[in-house]
Amino acid sequence: MSRIGRTRSGPLGRREFVRQAAVGAAGLTLLSRRAGATPPSDKIVVAHIGVNGMGRNHIRWFAGLEDVEVAALCDVDGGHLGKAMETLYDIRPGSRTEAYLDFRRVLDRKDIDAITCATPDHWHALVAVMAFQSGKDVYGEKPLTYSAREGRAMLDTLERHDRIFQLGNQIHASDNYHRVVELVRSGVLGEVRKVHLWKTGGSPDLGFPANEAPPGALDFDMWLGPSREVEYNPARCHFSYRYFLEYSGGKYQDFWCHIADVAFWALQPKGLRRVSARGESPIDGIADAPAWIDVDFAFDGLDIHWTTEPPDLPGAAERGIGAYFIGTKGTLVCDYGTREIRLDGEVLEDLPEVPETIPRSPGHQQNFVDSVKSRIHPESNLAYAREMTLPMHLGLISWRLKRPLEWDAEKERFVNDPAADYLLSRDYRAPWTLS
Amino acid sequence: MKTKICLSILLASALATSAVAQGNPEDGFEPLFNGRDLAGWEEAEGFLVEDGTILTRGAKAGDLYTQAEYGNYILRFDYMLSEMGNSGVFVRAEEGEPLEGRFEVQLLAPWTPYRDDLHCTGSLYGHVAVTSRPDESTDAWHSMEIVLDRDTVIVSVDGKAVTWAQTEHVESLREKNLKGRIGLQGNHSDPNQWVRFKNVRLKNLDSDVGYVLRGFGRSEPQIRRTTRDAAVDLGSAVIPGLCRIMASPDPVGPAAAREALFAIAAQASAPDYPSDSRDAMREMLAGERDRAESGEVKGYLEWLRGMLTAGD
Repeated sequence: MSRIGRTRSGPLGRREFVRQAAVGAAGLTLLSRRAGATPPSDKIVVAHIGVNGMGRNHIRWFAGLEDVEVAALCDVDGGHLGKAMETLYDIRPGSRTEAYLDFRRVLDRKDIDAITCATPDHWHALVAVMAFQSGKDVYGEKPLTYSAREGRAMLDTLERHDRIFQLGNQIHASDNYHRVVELVRSGVLGEVRKVHLWKTGGSPDLGFPANEAPPGALDFDMWLGPSREVEYNPARCHFSYRYFLEYSGGKYQDFWCHIADVAFWALQPKGLRRVSARGESPIDGIADAPAWIDVDFAFDGLDIHWTTEPPDLPGAAERGIGAYFIGTKGTLVCDYGTREIRLDGEVLEDLPEVPETIPRSPGHQQNFVDSVKSRIHPESNLAYAREMTLPMHLGLISWRLKRPLEWDAEKERFVNDPAADYLLSRDYRAPWTLS
Repeated sequence: MKTKICLSILLASALATSAVAQGNPEDGFEPLFNGRDLAGWEEAEGFLVEDGTILTRGAKAGDLYTQAEYGNYILRFDYMLSEMGNSGVFVRAEEGEPLEGRFEVQLLAPWTPYRDDLHCTGSLYGHVAVTSRPDESTDAWHSMEIVLDRDTVIVSVDGKAVTWAQTEHVESLREKNLKGRIGLQGNHSDPNQWVRFKNVRLKNLDSDVGYVLRGFGRSEPQIRRTTRDAAVDLGSAVIPGLCRIMASPDPVGPAAAREALFAIAAQASAPDYPSDSRDAMREMLAGERDRAESGEVKGYLEWLRGMLTAGD
């Protein structure tokens, strides 16, 4: 693949882009716009920022919606842009979509209503905040943010600019999660004072790859963005960046949003007081995010326990990820697509007497698009997503410092532990600021 | 005798340490047994102190374990076996059920027909045979030295190396602990038999900054773990060396050095850590930051320093 021009000013023209990136001819032969039933005035114009990996799913999902125009794709790696454009053209041949290397040029475009963000974690907050400031709504990938305080900055900016945000924890939209929430809230389990959450697996063996020069198509300085200046190492960049604390928090941080979601949605835990983590970092390679991490969270009247191994409870062991609600009358264990209720010695999948009270999602992305139009916040909106993800960050800080921490939920800071407070945020590398 | 000991020390030092062979060969050794009582050891049946020696007798004696754990070290002691005495030294035994992770350096009087090279004095019992038989005479004092240098084990008797092993090349030793307690096995041959120990002393290689830093060149998972933990135990003394490793182009060392630096600073950041020691570490990090040539190291050290400055 030929290298894409490093221009920071203006988009690459589509024709120019296609020539440079050697995208297949499909896009050239079918230039007519896709005819849809939705009138153009009812369509929202979307740009995708970060288009490898999960970003390609964003393209597939949003290009599959009638009322969406995909106006721009953006990535700091030109190689990703070529592949992403092919993905888009497969679904929408001839889509009038432009490619960008610098997301700020995307935000400059007045015709774009919303962006989706599937960059590495350390970019999430900054892309979202700058998008809000430029009047755009955001569908942003999990785990919401890199650091705890970034979530606060996002929320403040969203409110100031009256924007819409949906976190990309797409399992939220499932019928199963909606039903679990109805069952737990109905009181059939009695009072729920304890929840176990787990996700098996940790950072993998990445070995000891040497630093090297960044690939020509990658703007590595832009990839680093607000994070510290370091030499390029392929294992610390695309895909496996997740296993480095400089950019993310490993599988724990990655999967928290998927499974903690159902517990926080159902029980709305408040008044977190204490966070106590145990665990180890990997020893078989250069990754430093948890090989395993267990965390105990003490909320008002509710204990939540996160573990890397399933708890020793009926129905838990066979689930690689799960939530186990323990009530005074019964228990409920679930994962993304299944659930088991244990009540009076019986194992049940559902209880017909519990009415369906929560409207079902039209799909996680459609729910966002509907919100962009209606200005009513979507299901996994920012205020909710921030509450749900904040404890995860605090657990990781306790794991890093190897000590239990007391939390002041009202002031959103630790009690008498300035170093722990220090880890709630990280200064951005110039010229980036979160303001 | 003295020259013989020096030979084994030289062998050990070539593999393990830099400072051992310099000066007095006993430099850096600390007694594990005070000659009077079993302070520093767990309670065990069948052991007592007599005439400045540890004596184990009887057929049902327990095993006498140190309270502390040791990873890499040179252990020296003198021992005497009765005519049919049977004992040994367990190394790197974990607390609780210390069976799986440990192994034993054998001490055995030459009466039994089963005393092959894999089970005689000086062997790593059942795992590695001696390459030359030591003097197995009973009712006489002998000296033993056990060197545990990460994955290298050297056993010497009366100043002569008898067993040498690299644990990674011995399948049954590959998964053994790299750290744990030291145990003296109770005599277990006959109620009238006995074993005596004296001059039990140890040089802890993990308290040698240079030794620990050299471990950062190793990529084997368990060695990485114990090296990192040993560095964190050393605390501020190891910071300058860790900064040098972090700046090196070697792909193996920097990640673990960076993590150890964080763990050391994290310890010092605890609210109950003495504030003057925290201040000293902060100054040290600032000095290393100023000296560092790599922007990456400078930035990291400044960030760590910030963690110790927070709240001031």
